[in-house]
Amino acid sequence: MVVVPKTRKEMPVTALSVPTIGSAGKTGFWRDFKPVWVELVSPCTYDCPANNSIPKIFEKVRNGKLDEAAKIFLETNPFPSITGRVCPHLCERHCNRGEYDEIISIRSIERFLGDYVLKKKGERGFHEISAETGKKIAIIGSGPAGLSAAYYLRKIGHNVTIFESEKKLGGVLAYGIPPYRLPKQIVEKEVAALAKMGIKIKTGTAIGKGVTFEVIQKEFDVALLAIGAWKERDIGIPGEEFMMSGLEFLKEVNKGLREPPGMAVAVIGGGNVGIDVARTLKRLGAEPTILYRRTEKEMPAIDEEIQKAKEDGIEFRFLTQPVEASKRNGKIVLKCIKMRLGEPDATGRRRPIPIEGSEFTLEFDAVIKAVGERPDTTWIPRKFLNEKGWIKADPATGFVGENVFAAGDLVSGPATVVEAISAGRKTARSINQYLRGEEIKLEAPLEKPVKIEKINIEYYEPKERVKTFELPPEERTKSLDKEETLGVSLEEVESEADRCFSCGYCRSCRICWIFCPDSSIEIKDDSKPEFDYDYCKGCGICSNECPCGVITMQREEE
Amino acid sequence: MMESIKELSKEEYLLKGHIACAGCGLTISLRLLFKALGNKLVMVVPACCTSVIPGPYPYTSFAVPVQNIIFEATGATASGVVAAFRQRGIKDVPVVGWAGDGGTFDIGIQALSGAAERETNFIYICYDNEAYGNTGIQRSGATPYGAWTTTTPTGKKERKKDMPFIMAAHRIPYIATACPSYPMDFINKIRKAKEIKGTKFIHILAPCPTGWRYDTSKTVEIGRLAVQTGMWALFEIEYGKFKLNSPSDRLIDKAKRKPVKEYLSLQGRFRKLTEDDIEKIQRWVDEDWERYRKLALNQYV
Ligand SMILES: Cc1cc2nc3c(=O)[nH]c(=O)nc-3n(C[C@H](O)[C@H](O)[C@H](O)COP(=O)(O)OP(=O)(O)OC[C@H]3O[C@@H](n4cnc5c(N)ncnc54)[C@H](O)[C@@H]3O)c2cc1C
Ligand SMILES: Cc1ncc(C[n+]2csc(CCOP(=O)(O)OP(=O)(O)O)c2C)c(N)n1
Ligand SMILES: [Mg+2]
Repeated sequence: MVVVPKTRKEMPVTALSVPTIGSAGKTGFWRDFKPVWVELVSPCTYDCPANNSIPKIFEKVRNGKLDEAAKIFLETNPFPSITGRVCPHLCERHCNRGEYDEIISIRSIERFLGDYVLKKKGERGFHEISAETGKKIAIIGSGPAGLSAAYYLRKIGHNVTIFESEKKLGGVLAYGIPPYRLPKQIVEKEVAALAKMGIKIKTGTAIGKGVTFEVIQKEFDVALLAIGAWKERDIGIPGEEFMMSGLEFLKEVNKGLREPPGMAVAVIGGGNVGIDVARTLKRLGAEPTILYRRTEKEMPAIDEEIQKAKEDGIEFRFLTQPVEASKRNGKIVLKCIKMRLGEPDATGRRRPIPIEGSEFTLEFDAVIKAVGERPDTTWIPRKFLNEKGWIKADPATGFVGENVFAAGDLVSGPATVVEAISAGRKTARSINQYLRGEEIKLEAPLEKPVKIEKINIEYYEPKERVKTFELPPEERTKSLDKEETLGVSLEEVESEADRCFSCGYCRSCRICWIFCPDSSIEIKDDSKPEFDYDYCKGCGICSNECPCGVITMQREEE
Repeated sequence: MMESIKELSKEEYLLKGHIACAGCGLTISLRLLFKALGNKLVMVVPACCTSVIPGPYPYTSFAVPVQNIIFEATGATASGVVAAFRQRGIKDVPVVGWAGDGGTFDIGIQALSGAAERETNFIYICYDNEAYGNTGIQRSGATPYGAWTTTTPTGKKERKKDMPFIMAAHRIPYIATACPSYPMDFINKIRKAKEIKGTKFIHILAPCPTGWRYDTSKTVEIGRLAVQTGMWALFEIEYGKFKLNSPSDRLIDKAKRKPVKEYLSLQGRFRKLTEDDIEKIQRWVDEDWERYRKLALNQYV
């Protein structure tokens, strides 16, 4: 009990003070700057095309809440089991931890949680679906863009039907990426989980062939085009009829083909398709050679894939441009010309220039070309296309016109799985706005990401990045179906979660609280710190010490 | 460290609204003391910043029993409280003398020495802000070489006393150094002292933005640099046995210590140091560490 003496008489014989908050008044007015708690954007979230909230996911893992961690993933990416395997992981590129020791292995946690959630999918609570809206949506094409849109649209309660020309869903995931990189059971399980959500699936139905697009447009409230880019480009040289299409080849392999088209096979092109074709050929027992007209530096394929192809023992012939193909004695003769690099072109890569008189010939059993893909839009009504035959879609919202939207490679040209997933989600958002009769508005762009200067690295111990185990080349080139990259354990994921700087996201460590000289920071139920501005003197220790950079000092208004 | 902080009590016994300067290192230390012991203790506090910051009578920011006493008498008064407790059969309430460096190194050393010699069962904590803080930053026996104070306007010309080793010469059972920048080390040492019978001496480096002339936000950082440069070593002398504690235990190798300049250059009080001065300080630090290395090897002081 507190007795406060009011008169002289009430004073005790000896001096005795009474514990009182604010014994000398409110000290908050001393302050020139005040600490404010501001969540900032992490470089990983910023760089991820889907803007996955990676620091939040790591925080849940640190607290042992795997279900919640997985759910955060699903908010922006319904298929982490897939991106965990095939994504180029741009998120890791500017990871602040890289300036300290080694970047965080975000891919490990993505794959781990992806597989974790795949086991859980179909369980109650994971995919709550809002009340049925009765709105009918047709999604044409079941690649990552279509599937992602289907997931988000179904979650809001729309009546979603996917039309797919092939037998199986997945687009490139099912028919492009070879099984040693993405086991087909993974794709099948993801698709099965979508079916469980009540998404209707019509496979073997190519729109534009049997059913016209106009019918779809009429029968559904919205039609979303997500047909990808499956048309192999021509090189534009004589004798191209002797070459196979890389995409077609991969499709056949994914449907079960296990015979190479010959022993010595040329693969023309330096993109991801070319690399996949070559590495697949190697696994079928052939000896592929990649012909590319620029150098390794300009190759558009994912860097890691190029390295792996080299480890696999695949031969590369750089600065080599085929100019003519012909058939002789059952072999294909490729006439090539040597190239040199000139000035950078529109893509920023140095332009290849033929060296006059440098022609030479090479002989192969088969030649597969993979020099770029484009969408087949021939069946899409002309009013939705531009002069070049490309879809007229707003790349940010996916809106095309009337009740038509588009997403994925069809809009962007060949890109990545995560971009398709992100486009699917953003377009789903636009479709929802359209269905509610609202203006189609973009999500607010993210603020610039947190720099390492904002992080107090003193709170982290040097620790190695977890290693993902890869099958050695001798072993992996023996099998097309054996996955070459192995997953990591929960302990390893936890170690990465621990290493993560949690840039711009509070890790509830209470460092700010323990160091506050003014007892003016309160932590309520494990959540973010709360400042008592009546007493905080604004010293700034909390902001200086915060291991995640979430406390910013702001000048007080006069 | 982040994990163990989460386990500390959220109860506060240093109430908000006290009048310590913004960024005060001693105040953080007080909060850590209460995190370690809770409110079941009696504090004996002589004239010093700690006796000023609770605010004017009849109010106080301390929600624990405190005896505010004269400047020189911490050891003697604490001995009296201990004797009274013994008479009354109170066994489980630790008596904590909490004094500044002036009250410890200078005017209070006699009372402390006597209490230690009498094997008085109490914890004596000296929070060292390396000057007479509350009277306006005058030099003390703890002020380091080269530091500006109002009474050493061109920098102090003498070195700081080695107080923990003066106490070691008293053969008391427990001596430790600490710094609020390492809160768990700090708390663990106080908790350990509580369990040991006899006189315990804990020496805390408490950075002071007002006296040391640095930005208020850097208190914890300065303390950390003191440790990382080896200017302040975290160690314990338990029944004569010397032991360096983390992270100081990893700094025996000179290459692992940051140059003292990193610590000195952040503080206005060292602004007038010459390169020669800095070199001299570096040499002294290295000599201290050579001594620590040998002590850690032989263990006994
Ligand atoms: C071989 C290969 C390897 C790749 N590797 C990677 C990688 O490792 N990492 C990465 O991030 N990205 C990779 N990519 C790119 C990535 O797969 C694509 O960017 C992504 O799949 C595009 O998704 P989408 O949904 O737009 O189209 P797609 O995945 O192409 O799906 C389109 C779907 O629409 C169907 N369709 C087409 N026309 C019709 C029609 N008229 N009626 C009904 N259905 C139709 C198609 O059959 C297909 O199933 C790779 C691409 C290829 C080709
Ligand atoms: C006998 C005596 N001399 C001088 C003083 C004035 N005085 C009060 S506190 C103090 C200095 C205290 O310095 P220190 O012990 O280092 O504590 P700090 O103020 O730095 O916390 C002085 C000189 C006094 N109270 N009694
Ligand atoms: Mg002092």
